[in-house]
Amino acid sequence: MFENFPLILISGIAVATASGLIGTFLVVRKMTLMSDALSHVALPGIALGIIFNFQPLVGGVVFLFFGILLIWKIENKTKLAIESITGVLFVTTLAVGTLLIPETELLETFFGSVEKTTSFQLILQTIIAVIVIATALKYLKPLTLSSVAPDLAASEKISHAKMQFLLLTLITLTISIGISFVGVLLISALSIVPAATARNLSDNFKLFIRLSVILAIFSLTGGLYISHVWHFDPGIATVLISAFFFVLSLFKKQ
Amino acid sequence: MANELLLKVNDLTVIFDGVKVLDDVSFEIKKEEVLAVIGPNGSGKSVLLKTLIGITKQTSGTIEWAPEIRIGYLPQRFQVDKYLPMTVKEFLELKPDPKESINTVLKEINLDKTILNEAMAHLSGGQLQKILLVWAIIDKPHILLFDEPTENIDVVGQESVYKLLHHLQDLHNIALIIVSHDLHVVYRYANHVLCLNQKMLCYGEPHKTLTNEHLAELYGDHAFFHHHHYDV
Repeated sequence: MFENFPLILISGIAVATASGLIGTFLVVRKMTLMSDALSHVALPGIALGIIFNFQPLVGGVVFLFFGILLIWKIENKTKLAIESITGVLFVTTLAVGTLLIPETELLETFFGSVEKTTSFQLILQTIIAVIVIATALKYLKPLTLSSVAPDLAASEKISHAKMQFLLLTLITLTISIGISFVGVLLISALSIVPAATARNLSDNFKLFIRLSVILAIFSLTGGLYISHVWHFDPGIATVLISAFFFVLSLFKKQ
Repeated sequence: MANELLLKVNDLTVIFDGVKVLDDVSFEIKKEEVLAVIGPNGSGKSVLLKTLIGITKQTSGTIEWAPEIRIGYLPQRFQVDKYLPMTVKEFLELKPDPKESINTVLKEINLDKTILNEAMAHLSGGQLQKILLVWAIIDKPHILLFDEPTENIDVVGQESVYKLLHHLQDLHNIALIIVSHDLHVVYRYANHVLCLNQKMLCYGEPHKTLTNEHLAELYGDHAFFHHHHYDV
Protein backbone atom coordinates (compact mmCIF):
# COMPACT_ATOMS: atom_id res chain seq x y z
CA MET A 1 0.00 0.00 0.00
CA PHE A 2 1.47 3.34 -1.04
CA GLU A 3 0.73 6.41 1.05
CA ASN A 4 0.47 8.94 -1.75
CA PHE A 5 -0.78 6.68 -4.51
CA PRO A 6 -2.43 9.45 -6.60
CA LEU A 7 0.83 11.40 -6.83
CA ILE A 8 2.75 8.21 -7.63
CA LEU A 9 0.25 7.46 -10.36
CA ILE A 10 0.47 10.94 -11.93
CA SER A 11 4.26 10.90 -11.84
CA GLY A 12 4.18 7.36 -13.26
CA ILE A 13 2.01 8.39 -16.20
CA ALA A 14 4.32 11.33 -17.01
CA VAL A 15 7.46 9.19 -16.75
CA ALA A 16 5.91 6.39 -18.84
CA THR A 17 4.86 8.86 -21.55
CA ALA A 18 8.41 10.19 -21.80
CA SER A 19 9.82 6.64 -21.85
CA GLY A 20 7.43 5.41 -24.52
CA LEU A 21 8.16 8.43 -26.70
CA ILE A 22 11.96 8.29 -26.42
CA GLY A 23 11.83 4.50 -26.79
CA THR A 24 10.56 4.82 -30.37
CA PHE A 25 13.74 6.67 -31.37
CA LEU A 26 15.92 4.13 -29.57
CA VAL A 27 14.26 1.31 -31.50
CA VAL A 28 14.49 3.08 -34.88
CA ARG A 29 18.13 4.08 -34.31
CA LYS A 30 19.01 0.61 -32.97
CA MET A 31 20.29 2.18 -29.77
CA THR A 32 18.28 0.03 -27.36
CA LEU A 33 21.17 -1.94 -25.92
CA MET A 34 23.30 1.16 -25.72
CA SER A 35 20.68 2.92 -23.59
CA ASP A 36 20.28 -0.22 -21.49
CA ALA A 37 24.01 -0.22 -20.75
CA LEU A 38 23.99 3.54 -20.25
CA SER A 39 21.49 3.31 -17.40
CA HIS A 40 24.09 1.60 -15.20
CA VAL A 41 26.33 4.62 -15.45
CA ALA A 42 23.89 6.30 -13.04
CA LEU A 43 24.87 3.89 -10.24
CA PRO A 44 27.97 5.62 -8.80
CA GLY A 45 26.06 8.93 -8.81
CA ILE A 46 23.14 7.38 -6.94
CA ALA A 47 25.63 5.83 -4.51
CA LEU A 48 27.18 9.22 -3.78
CA GLY A 49 23.69 10.64 -3.20
CA ILE A 50 22.91 7.90 -0.65
CA ILE A 51 26.30 8.18 1.10
CA PHE A 52 26.44 11.97 1.30
CA ASN A 53 22.73 12.40 1.85
CA PHE A 54 21.69 14.38 -1.22
CA GLN A 55 19.04 13.62 -3.86
CA PRO A 56 20.25 10.38 -5.57
CA LEU A 57 18.33 11.44 -8.68
CA VAL A 58 20.69 14.41 -9.07
CA GLY A 59 23.79 12.26 -8.62
CA GLY A 60 22.40 9.84 -11.22
CA VAL A 61 21.74 12.63 -13.75
CA VAL A 62 25.24 14.06 -13.34
CA PHE A 63 26.92 10.69 -13.89
CA LEU A 64 24.65 9.81 -16.80
CA PHE A 65 25.41 13.14 -18.37
CA PHE A 66 29.15 12.51 -18.17
CA GLY A 67 28.45 9.05 -19.60
CA ILE A 68 26.66 10.37 -22.69
CA LEU A 69 29.20 13.15 -23.14
CA LEU A 70 31.92 10.50 -23.26
CA ILE A 71 29.95 8.27 -25.64
CA TRP A 72 29.02 11.19 -27.88
CA LYS A 73 32.59 12.52 -28.00
CA ILE A 74 33.96 9.08 -28.78
CA GLU A 75 31.40 8.48 -31.50
CA ASN A 76 31.95 11.83 -33.22
CA LYS A 77 35.67 12.34 -32.76
CA THR A 78 37.31 8.93 -32.84
CA LYS A 79 37.04 5.64 -34.64
CA LEU A 80 36.68 3.49 -31.52
CA ALA A 81 33.77 1.07 -31.64
CA ILE A 82 30.97 2.60 -29.61
CA GLU A 83 29.63 -0.68 -28.27
CA SER A 84 32.93 -1.75 -26.70
CA ILE A 85 33.31 1.63 -24.96
CA THR A 86 29.74 1.41 -23.68
CA GLY A 87 30.45 -2.13 -22.51
CA VAL A 88 33.55 -1.09 -20.56
CA LEU A 89 31.73 1.88 -19.06
CA PHE A 90 28.75 -0.29 -18.09
CA VAL A 91 30.63 -3.00 -16.17
CA THR A 92 32.96 -0.50 -14.51
CA THR A 93 30.17 1.74 -13.20
CA LEU A 94 28.11 -1.31 -12.20
CA ALA A 95 31.05 -2.61 -10.15
CA VAL A 96 31.85 0.77 -8.58
CA GLY A 97 28.18 1.49 -7.86
CA THR A 98 27.59 -1.92 -6.27
CA LEU A 99 30.71 -1.46 -4.16
CA LEU A 100 29.58 1.97 -2.88
CA ILE A 101 25.84 1.49 -2.35
CA PRO A 102 24.96 0.17 1.13
CA GLU A 103 23.67 -3.38 1.01
CA THR A 104 20.23 -2.46 2.37
CA GLU A 105 19.66 -0.04 -0.51
CA LEU A 106 21.25 -2.11 -3.24
CA LEU A 107 18.14 -4.07 -4.24
CA GLU A 108 16.04 -0.90 -4.21
CA THR A 109 18.47 0.80 -6.55
CA PHE A 110 18.51 -2.21 -8.85
CA PHE A 111 14.77 -2.86 -8.99
CA GLY A 112 13.10 0.38 -7.89
CA SER A 113 11.66 1.71 -4.65
CA VAL A 114 8.50 3.71 -5.28
CA GLU A 115 7.35 3.42 -1.67
CA LYS A 116 10.45 5.29 -0.47
CA THR A 117 10.23 8.06 -3.05
CA THR A 118 9.44 11.44 -1.50
CA SER A 119 6.68 13.73 -2.76
CA PHE A 120 9.33 16.25 -3.72
CA GLN A 121 11.08 13.69 -5.89
CA LEU A 122 7.80 12.59 -7.48
CA ILE A 123 7.00 16.18 -8.42
CA LEU A 124 10.54 16.75 -9.70
CA GLN A 125 10.26 13.61 -11.85
CA THR A 126 6.96 14.77 -13.27
CA ILE A 127 8.39 18.17 -14.23
CA ILE A 128 11.43 16.61 -15.90
CA ALA A 129 9.15 14.18 -17.75
CA VAL A 130 7.05 17.06 -19.09
CA ILE A 131 10.21 18.85 -20.27
CA VAL A 132 11.41 15.68 -22.03
CA ILE A 133 8.04 15.18 -23.74
CA ALA A 134 7.78 18.82 -24.84
CA THR A 135 11.33 18.87 -26.23
CA ALA A 136 10.90 15.57 -28.06
CA LEU A 137 7.66 16.79 -29.64
CA LYS A 138 9.19 20.13 -30.60
CA TYR A 139 12.04 18.38 -32.44
CA LEU A 140 9.97 15.42 -33.60
CA LYS A 141 10.55 15.99 -37.35
CA PRO A 142 14.33 16.55 -37.36
CA LEU A 143 14.82 13.79 -34.75
CA THR A 144 12.82 11.38 -36.89
CA LEU A 145 14.56 12.37 -40.12
CA SER A 146 18.05 12.08 -38.69
CA SER A 147 17.05 8.67 -37.28
CA VAL A 148 15.66 7.15 -40.48
CA ALA A 149 17.81 8.96 -43.08
CA PRO A 150 20.98 10.58 -41.66
CA ASP A 151 22.35 11.57 -45.08
CA LEU A 152 19.12 13.26 -46.17
CA ALA A 153 18.96 15.04 -42.82
CA ALA A 154 22.54 16.27 -43.31
CA SER A 155 21.66 17.55 -46.77
CA GLU A 156 18.84 19.55 -45.13
CA LYS A 157 21.40 21.08 -42.73
CA ILE A 158 20.16 19.02 -39.80
CA SER A 159 23.32 18.12 -37.92
CA HIS A 160 23.56 14.43 -37.04
CA ALA A 161 25.86 15.18 -34.10
CA LYS A 162 23.44 17.75 -32.67
CA MET A 163 20.43 15.44 -33.00
CA GLN A 164 22.43 12.59 -31.47
CA PHE A 165 23.35 14.82 -28.53
CA LEU A 166 19.77 15.98 -28.08
CA LEU A 167 18.54 12.40 -28.09
CA LEU A 168 21.25 11.25 -25.65
CA THR A 169 20.30 14.09 -23.29
CA LEU A 170 16.64 13.10 -23.49
CA ILE A 171 17.60 9.46 -22.84
CA THR A 172 19.63 10.53 -19.81
CA LEU A 173 16.72 12.43 -18.30
CA THR A 174 14.27 9.65 -19.09
CA ILE A 175 16.48 7.04 -17.48
CA SER A 176 17.02 9.08 -14.34
CA ILE A 177 13.34 9.78 -13.75
CA GLY A 178 12.38 6.14 -14.30
CA ILE A 179 14.89 4.66 -11.86
CA SER A 180 12.72 5.19 -8.75
CA PHE A 181 9.90 3.20 -10.39
CA VAL A 182 11.66 0.22 -11.94
CA GLY A 183 15.30 0.53 -10.82
CA VAL A 184 18.55 0.71 -12.74
CA LEU A 185 18.48 -2.88 -14.00
CA LEU A 186 14.95 -2.76 -15.40
CA ILE A 187 14.77 0.86 -16.53
CA SER A 188 15.21 0.20 -20.22
CA ALA A 189 12.25 -2.17 -20.13
CA LEU A 190 10.12 0.92 -19.68
CA SER A 191 11.27 2.49 -22.95
CA ILE A 192 12.48 -0.41 -25.09
CA VAL A 193 9.82 -3.08 -24.59
CA PRO A 194 6.76 -0.88 -25.28
CA ALA A 195 8.45 0.63 -28.35
CA ALA A 196 9.45 -2.80 -29.68
CA THR A 197 5.88 -4.04 -29.14
CA ALA A 198 4.44 -0.94 -30.83
CA ARG A 199 6.69 -1.46 -33.84
CA ASN A 200 5.39 -4.99 -34.27
CA LEU A 201 1.83 -3.67 -34.28
CA SER A 202 2.21 -0.51 -36.41
CA ASP A 203 2.40 0.21 -40.11
CA ASN A 204 2.81 3.95 -39.70
CA PHE A 205 4.89 6.24 -37.51
CA LYS A 206 2.05 8.06 -35.78
CA LEU A 207 0.50 4.82 -34.60
CA PHE A 208 3.96 3.56 -33.62
CA ILE A 209 4.58 6.52 -31.28
CA ARG A 210 1.06 6.52 -29.85
CA LEU A 211 1.03 2.78 -29.17
CA SER A 212 4.46 2.92 -27.59
CA VAL A 213 3.32 5.66 -25.19
CA ILE A 214 0.03 3.90 -24.41
CA LEU A 215 1.77 0.57 -23.75
CA ALA A 216 4.36 2.24 -21.50
CA ILE A 217 1.64 4.00 -19.50
CA PHE A 218 -0.44 0.84 -19.26
CA SER A 219 2.52 -1.29 -18.15
CA LEU A 220 3.74 1.15 -15.50
CA THR A 221 0.35 2.05 -14.03
CA GLY A 222 -0.60 -1.64 -14.15
CA GLY A 223 2.63 -2.52 -12.34
CA LEU A 224 2.04 0.19 -9.76
CA TYR A 225 -1.53 -0.90 -9.19
CA ILE A 226 -0.57 -4.56 -8.75
CA SER A 227 2.11 -3.64 -6.24
CA HIS A 228 -0.27 -1.26 -4.47
CA VAL A 229 -2.84 -3.99 -3.98
CA TRP A 230 -0.77 -7.19 -3.69
CA HIS A 231 2.60 -5.96 -2.35
CA PHE A 232 4.36 -7.12 -5.47
CA ASP A 233 7.57 -5.39 -6.55
CA PRO A 234 6.35 -2.62 -8.92
CA GLY A 235 9.41 -2.73 -11.20
CA ILE A 236 9.13 -6.47 -11.74
CA ALA A 237 5.36 -6.24 -12.28
CA THR A 238 5.81 -3.44 -14.84
CA VAL A 239 8.42 -5.34 -16.84
CA LEU A 240 6.38 -8.53 -16.82
CA ILE A 241 3.27 -6.73 -18.06
CA SER A 242 5.15 -5.01 -20.90
CA ALA A 243 6.91 -8.27 -21.82
CA PHE A 244 3.52 -10.00 -21.92
CA PHE A 245 2.29 -7.46 -24.50
CA PHE A 246 5.46 -7.94 -26.52
CA VAL A 247 4.86 -11.70 -26.71
CA LEU A 248 1.25 -11.07 -27.77
CA SER A 249 2.44 -8.66 -30.49
CA LEU A 250 4.62 -11.38 -32.02
CA PHE A 251 1.50 -13.37 -32.88
CA LYS A 252 -0.09 -10.38 -34.59
CA LYS A 253 2.92 -9.90 -36.88
CA GLN A 254 2.32 -13.28 -38.52
CA MET B 1 20.08 35.45 -66.32
CA ALA B 2 20.94 32.33 -68.26
CA ASN B 3 24.57 32.80 -67.45
CA GLU B 4 23.98 33.14 -63.73
CA LEU B 5 26.54 31.12 -61.80
CA LEU B 6 25.05 28.62 -59.35
CA LEU B 7 28.19 26.92 -58.11
CA LYS B 8 31.90 27.55 -58.32
CA VAL B 9 34.33 24.95 -57.02
CA ASN B 10 38.02 25.75 -56.68
CA ASP B 11 40.88 23.30 -56.00
CA LEU B 12 38.66 20.99 -53.95
CA THR B 13 40.65 18.35 -52.10
CA VAL B 14 39.31 15.73 -49.69
CA ILE B 15 41.65 13.48 -47.70
CA PHE B 16 40.41 10.52 -45.63
CA ASP B 17 43.01 9.01 -43.29
CA GLY B 18 45.89 10.31 -45.37
CA VAL B 19 44.38 9.01 -48.64
CA LYS B 20 43.47 11.60 -51.26
CA VAL B 21 39.89 10.84 -52.33
CA LEU B 22 39.52 14.06 -54.31
CA ASP B 23 42.54 15.89 -55.63
CA ASP B 24 42.36 19.49 -56.77
CA VAL B 25 38.95 19.48 -58.49
CA SER B 26 37.67 22.74 -60.00
CA PHE B 27 34.55 23.40 -62.05
CA GLU B 28 31.48 25.60 -62.20
CA ILE B 29 27.79 25.30 -63.01
CA LYS B 30 25.50 27.88 -64.50
CA LYS B 31 21.75 28.05 -64.35
CA GLU B 32 19.91 25.25 -66.22
CA GLU B 33 23.14 23.44 -67.01
CA VAL B 34 23.60 19.67 -66.82
CA LEU B 35 26.97 18.44 -65.63
CA ALA B 36 27.74 14.73 -65.77
CA VAL B 37 30.44 13.36 -63.48
CA ILE B 38 31.93 10.11 -64.72
CA GLY B 39 34.69 7.84 -63.49
CA PRO B 40 35.37 4.26 -62.38
CA ASN B 41 34.23 2.85 -59.03
CA GLY B 42 35.95 4.49 -56.09
CA SER B 43 36.98 7.52 -58.11
CA GLY B 44 35.45 9.96 -55.62
CA LYS B 45 32.20 10.75 -57.48
CA SER B 46 29.87 10.20 -54.52
CA VAL B 47 32.32 11.94 -52.18
CA LEU B 48 32.27 14.93 -54.52
CA LEU B 49 28.48 15.25 -54.20
CA LYS B 50 28.54 14.71 -50.44
CA THR B 51 31.21 17.38 -50.07
CA LEU B 52 29.25 19.82 -52.20
CA ILE B 53 26.24 19.61 -49.88
CA GLY B 54 28.28 19.51 -46.68
CA ILE B 55 27.82 15.90 -45.53
CA THR B 56 31.57 15.43 -45.96
CA LYS B 57 34.03 18.20 -45.09
CA GLN B 58 36.67 19.24 -47.58
CA THR B 59 40.33 19.24 -46.57
CA SER B 60 41.13 22.26 -48.72
CA GLY B 61 39.67 24.29 -51.56
CA THR B 62 36.48 26.32 -51.78
CA ILE B 63 32.84 25.62 -52.65
CA GLU B 64 30.81 28.72 -53.45
CA TRP B 65 27.07 28.29 -53.89
CA ALA B 66 24.92 31.16 -55.15
CA PRO B 67 23.25 32.90 -52.20
CA GLU B 68 19.82 31.55 -51.13
CA ILE B 69 20.19 28.57 -53.44
CA ARG B 70 18.03 25.52 -52.81
CA ILE B 71 19.75 22.21 -53.48
CA GLY B 72 18.07 18.85 -54.00
CA TYR B 73 20.04 15.67 -53.36
CA LEU B 74 19.36 12.06 -54.34
CA PRO B 75 21.83 9.78 -52.56
CA GLN B 76 23.22 6.69 -54.24
CA ARG B 77 22.26 4.40 -51.41
CA PHE B 78 19.18 4.82 -49.29
CA GLN B 79 18.40 1.86 -47.16
CA VAL B 80 15.13 1.65 -45.33
CA ASP B 81 15.08 -0.63 -42.34
CA LYS B 82 12.62 -3.38 -43.26
CA TYR B 83 10.87 -3.00 -39.91
CA LEU B 84 10.48 0.77 -40.11
CA PRO B 85 6.82 1.60 -39.52
CA MET B 86 6.50 4.65 -41.77
CA THR B 87 4.33 5.41 -44.75
CA VAL B 88 5.54 7.25 -47.85
CA LYS B 89 3.32 10.19 -46.89
CA GLU B 90 4.82 10.40 -43.40
CA PHE B 91 8.31 10.27 -44.87
CA LEU B 92 7.61 13.08 -47.35
CA GLU B 93 6.06 15.18 -44.58
CA LEU B 94 9.45 15.19 -42.82
CA LYS B 95 10.83 17.50 -45.51
CA PRO B 96 11.63 20.72 -43.64
CA ASP B 97 10.53 23.43 -46.06
CA PRO B 98 8.27 22.20 -48.89
CA LYS B 99 7.31 24.69 -51.60
CA GLU B 100 4.75 22.51 -53.39
CA SER B 101 2.10 20.07 -52.28
CA ILE B 102 2.99 16.39 -52.31
CA ASN B 103 0.15 15.69 -54.73
CA THR B 104 1.40 18.25 -57.27
CA VAL B 105 4.86 16.67 -57.33
CA LEU B 106 3.43 13.15 -57.55
CA LYS B 107 1.51 14.24 -60.65
CA GLU B 108 4.64 15.71 -62.23
CA ILE B 109 6.46 12.45 -61.71
CA ASN B 110 3.47 10.44 -62.85
CA LEU B 111 3.08 8.55 -59.61
CA ASP B 112 -0.29 7.40 -58.35
CA LYS B 113 -1.52 8.88 -55.05
CA THR B 114 -2.06 5.39 -53.64
CA ILE B 115 1.70 5.07 -53.12
CA LEU B 116 1.41 7.56 -50.22
CA ASN B 117 -0.15 4.89 -48.02
CA GLU B 118 2.48 2.27 -48.82
CA ALA B 119 5.07 1.45 -46.18
CA MET B 120 8.52 2.84 -47.01
CA ALA B 121 9.95 -0.57 -46.19
CA HIS B 122 7.85 -2.28 -48.89
CA LEU B 123 8.89 -0.12 -51.85
CA SER B 124 10.94 -1.59 -54.68
CA GLY B 125 14.29 -0.02 -55.53
CA GLY B 126 12.79 1.91 -58.43
CA GLN B 127 9.80 3.15 -56.43
CA LEU B 128 12.07 4.24 -53.59
CA GLN B 129 14.21 6.21 -56.01
CA LYS B 130 11.15 8.01 -57.36
CA ILE B 131 9.99 8.85 -53.83
CA LEU B 132 13.47 10.23 -53.14
CA LEU B 133 13.10 12.29 -56.29
CA VAL B 134 9.78 13.66 -54.95
CA TRP B 135 11.62 14.42 -51.70
CA ALA B 136 14.39 16.20 -53.59
CA ILE B 137 12.19 18.44 -55.74
CA ILE B 138 9.31 19.24 -53.38
CA ASP B 139 11.05 22.43 -52.22
CA LYS B 140 11.61 23.52 -55.83
CA PRO B 141 15.41 23.34 -55.88
CA HIS B 142 17.50 25.40 -58.29
CA ILE B 143 19.86 22.48 -58.72
CA LEU B 144 19.54 18.74 -58.26
CA LEU B 145 22.44 16.47 -57.35
CA PHE B 146 21.76 12.94 -58.53
CA ASP B 147 24.03 10.09 -57.51
CA GLU B 148 23.14 7.20 -59.79
CA PRO B 149 22.77 3.88 -58.00
CA THR B 150 25.00 1.04 -59.13
CA GLU B 151 22.71 -1.69 -57.91
CA ASN B 152 19.06 -2.60 -57.33
CA ILE B 153 17.71 -0.54 -60.19
CA ASP B 154 16.78 -2.24 -63.44
CA VAL B 155 17.89 -0.72 -66.73
CA VAL B 156 14.34 0.15 -67.80
CA GLY B 157 13.69 1.85 -64.45
CA GLN B 158 16.89 3.80 -64.75
CA GLU B 159 16.04 4.92 -68.26
CA SER B 160 12.70 6.23 -67.02
CA VAL B 161 14.42 8.14 -64.21
CA TYR B 162 16.52 9.98 -66.77
CA LYS B 163 13.44 10.75 -68.84
CA LEU B 164 11.89 12.10 -65.65
CA LEU B 165 14.88 14.26 -64.87
CA HIS B 166 14.81 15.59 -68.40
CA HIS B 167 11.09 16.27 -68.11
CA LEU B 168 11.60 18.07 -64.77
CA GLN B 169 14.35 20.13 -66.28
CA ASP B 170 12.02 21.28 -69.04
CA LEU B 171 9.34 22.02 -66.46
CA HIS B 172 11.35 23.89 -63.83
CA ASN B 173 14.65 24.73 -65.52
CA ILE B 174 16.55 22.88 -62.81
CA ALA B 175 20.31 22.59 -63.15
CA LEU B 176 21.64 19.07 -62.65
CA ILE B 177 24.78 17.36 -61.49
CA ILE B 178 24.54 13.70 -62.44
CA VAL B 179 26.99 11.10 -61.25
CA SER B 180 26.72 8.42 -63.89
CA HIS B 181 28.30 5.14 -64.92
CA ASP B 182 26.67 5.25 -68.31
CA LEU B 183 28.26 7.18 -71.16
CA HIS B 184 24.99 7.10 -73.12
CA VAL B 185 23.48 9.32 -70.45
CA VAL B 186 26.35 11.74 -70.73
CA TYR B 187 26.04 12.12 -74.50
CA ARG B 188 22.31 12.40 -74.42
CA TYR B 189 21.71 14.79 -71.52
CA ALA B 190 24.83 16.61 -70.38
CA ASN B 191 26.18 20.01 -71.45
CA HIS B 192 29.43 19.38 -69.66
CA VAL B 193 31.26 16.35 -68.44
CA LEU B 194 33.81 16.00 -65.66
CA CYS B 195 36.02 12.90 -65.68
CA LEU B 196 37.11 11.98 -62.20
CA ASN B 197 39.67 9.56 -60.89
CA GLN B 198 40.61 11.32 -57.68
CA LYS B 199 42.12 13.93 -59.97
CA MET B 200 40.08 15.75 -62.57
CA LEU B 201 41.18 14.08 -65.81
CA CYS B 202 38.99 16.06 -68.18
CA TYR B 203 36.33 18.76 -68.12
CA GLY B 204 34.34 20.25 -70.98
CA GLU B 205 31.64 19.54 -73.56
CA PRO B 206 31.09 15.79 -73.97
CA HIS B 207 31.68 15.52 -77.74
CA LYS B 208 34.90 17.47 -77.54
CA THR B 209 36.15 16.20 -74.21
CA LEU B 210 35.50 12.47 -74.29
CA THR B 211 38.32 11.49 -76.55
CA ASN B 212 39.54 7.91 -76.73
CA GLU B 213 42.68 8.94 -74.92
CA HIS B 214 40.79 10.43 -72.01
CA LEU B 215 38.46 7.43 -71.74
CA ALA B 216 41.34 4.99 -71.85
CA GLU B 217 43.07 6.96 -69.13
CA LEU B 218 39.88 6.97 -67.07
CA TYR B 219 38.59 3.43 -67.41
CA GLY B 220 41.29 1.36 -69.11
CA ASP B 221 40.96 -0.13 -72.58
CA HIS B 222 37.53 -1.78 -72.25
CA ALA B 223 35.88 1.63 -72.26
CA PHE B 224 36.13 1.83 -76.02
CA PHE B 225 33.13 -0.46 -76.38
CA HIS B 226 30.93 2.22 -74.84
CA HIS B 227 32.17 5.00 -76.94
CA HIS B 228 29.22 5.72 -79.23
CA HIS B 229 27.93 9.07 -80.27
CA TYR B 230 24.21 9.59 -79.97
CA ASP B 231 22.11 12.21 -81.61
CA VAL B 232 20.13 14.14 -79.07
